Amino acid sequence: MSDPLLSIRGLVTQFDTPDGTVRAVDGVSYDVHPGETVGVVGESGSGKSVTVMTVLGLVPQPPGRVESGEILLEGRDLLELPIEELRKIRGKDVAMIFQDPMTSLNPVLTVGLQIAEAVQTHDPSMSDDQAREKVVELLELVGVPNASDRYDQYPHEYSGGMRQRGMIAMAMANRPKVLIADEPTTALDVTIQAQVLEVLKTAQEETNAGTILITHDLGVIAEMADRVVVMYAGRVVETGTVEEIFHTPRHPYTLGLLSSLPRPDVDLDRLEPIRGQPPSMISLPSGCAFHPRCKLGEGRERCRTETPPLYDLGGGVSSACHFHDEMTDEVARVEEVTGATFDAEDDAT
Amino acid sequence: MLSYALRRLLITIPVVLLSTFLVFGAVTASGDPLQDLRQQPNITQERIDNVRETRGLDDPFPVQYWRWLEQVPTNGFGEYMISPRQILPDLQRVIGNTLQLVIAAEVFAFITAVALGVASAKRQYSIFDYTTTTISFVGFAMPTFWFALLLQVTVVQIFELTGVRILPLANLSSANPGTGLAWLWDRALHLVLPVITLSIVSIAAYSRYMRASMLEVINSDYVRTARAKGLSEGVITRRHAMRNALIPTITVAALSFGGLLSGAIVVEVVFGLDGMGQYFLNQLQRRDPYPIVAWLSVVAVVVMVFNLVADLLYGYLDPRIRYD
Repeated sequence: MSDPLLSIRGLVTQFDTPDGTVRAVDGVSYDVHPGETVGVVGESGSGKSVTVMTVLGLVPQPPGRVESGEILLEGRDLLELPIEELRKIRGKDVAMIFQDPMTSLNPVLTVGLQIAEAVQTHDPSMSDDQAREKVVELLELVGVPNASDRYDQYPHEYSGGMRQRGMIAMAMANRPKVLIADEPTTALDVTIQAQVLEVLKTAQEETNAGTILITHDLGVIAEMADRVVVMYAGRVVETGTVEEIFHTPRHPYTLGLLSSLPRPDVDLDRLEPIRGQPPSMISLPSGCAFHPRCKLGEGRERCRTETPPLYDLGGGVSSACHFHDEMTDEVARVEEVTGATFDAEDDAT
Repeated sequence: MLSYALRRLLITIPVVLLSTFLVFGAVTASGDPLQDLRQQPNITQERIDNVRETRGLDDPFPVQYWRWLEQVPTNGFGEYMISPRQILPDLQRVIGNTLQLVIAAEVFAFITAVALGVASAKRQYSIFDYTTTTISFVGFAMPTFWFALLLQVTVVQIFELTGVRILPLANLSSANPGTGLAWLWDRALHLVLPVITLSIVSIAAYSRYMRASMLEVINSDYVRTARAKGLSEGVITRRHAMRNALIPTITVAALSFGGLLSGAIVVEVVFGLDGMGQYFLNQLQRRDPYPIVAWLSVVAVVVMVFNLVADLLYGYLDPRIRYD
């Protein structure tokens, strides 16, 4: 495989809260290669957003604090860069699309100006007219109709979907090498979601950027991702290609996600939700953080006492489960309960 | 927007009429406008009766009010109760002086408060932030007249210690203020202490507003977006944060402009300035309803105009607000 574009290595990000220190990201590692889309899934609070916020240095410090780890962009450690250098990378080499387009644009500045700002910051030689021309092109590319009129409109004159298109235009303005999309469709109507994902695909093809797509929507993952990183309680619990994740999950949590969601491609008679609640990040369960909710680990001493490492199963697949080799049986059990066949031959994804 | 502004200005007319009517009633009911005359031993009863007759003081008060109102447009805001002098020239003089004081104080207060508010928000919970917070509350709680006296005493002490007269203590001008630039400089020096006194409460109030709205804004999503674009902190603060944070602060500042006029009463008395406040107190002591009501009409118009200015500024700063 080619050298990774962006490589997150053993990242630990903590927050100091009045109730104690929260380790929001605990030893997370994953790579992004040029042109590929890495989907990051997990429940709220699993640390998926904080990880990418740390990449761009957007975690407010204090209370946030990067304890250890490396974030290598083409071999350069972003965590070691002085802020002026990091600023040159923000919006240029690494660009970000945020979750809520309603609040992510400045209400008192025109959308066009806010995108032009992204262009001109990294290319001060560009005149206002040139920047305007380029922004209008970008807006057309992301499917904003009447782009040159829309340039002068304010965010409140845009619909949610249009705003997110504007955010995507802003992110791709400088042809970034890495595009981070943090739940880009969560705040949108289902009908608009599909359109925005299309636009995101266009943006990615246009720039050939390595993309990190954060979502808790497995449908979006199936649609967009090449590889998947599953996170739970601040740690990576499983990685693999999108097919492997959907058909042969290697971690009980991933299986739990799959069996608690109705899917068009798998015929589920009934759902099996993950029992219990996501853990409090202030007092995580001992050993494997998933063990109180895990059927596979039920009653097993090792799960309660020993934190599993991320076992490398070869071929880019890894799992942080002590008993990952028993997953075939566990999948079979869940298939029994739900009446579904996960490892189906049809390729509906 | 123009028609909106015009409509708002038209509304001020009935409001001013109603408030003058009420105040006229209150002042005439509160005492004898001729008591000043009565106390003077060399004024005859005839003279008093004469005034009573010509001003129609035995008429019901709506009739008196109407008589005063009739003269407002034609006879320079009417005449004083006991002398046939027009009110308008005096009013013009004191308004001019007071506006110099109040506008200077408002501008000074606003700029200082914005700077303080932004700086403390950006360094939230720092020593600087705690210090400005404490000073703000002290400034807010301090009686204006006492602060004015403190300033005067300080300047006197400096003079006694060093022999340098750094600032004049009272009045609006020196005995020979000169002309042109020299006059301007002389006036500016005379206004330094009054402006500081008058603006201290406003600085305290506005800077708290600015700090609070700035804090809200710098933690907002769009500031994070701006940061993710690679903008420098300076541009983020000026273009993205301050512009949004100024919206509520400007509204508060414009709406409190009327409050500065009442603050000016105290300041003008302490510093012996020939302004609206001083004038108002004098007329109030004489219980002459005509100049008081004239004064009130002016203040009412000023307050309402500044409310309108606040609304228009709001619409200018926030594109989400439209008038139609």
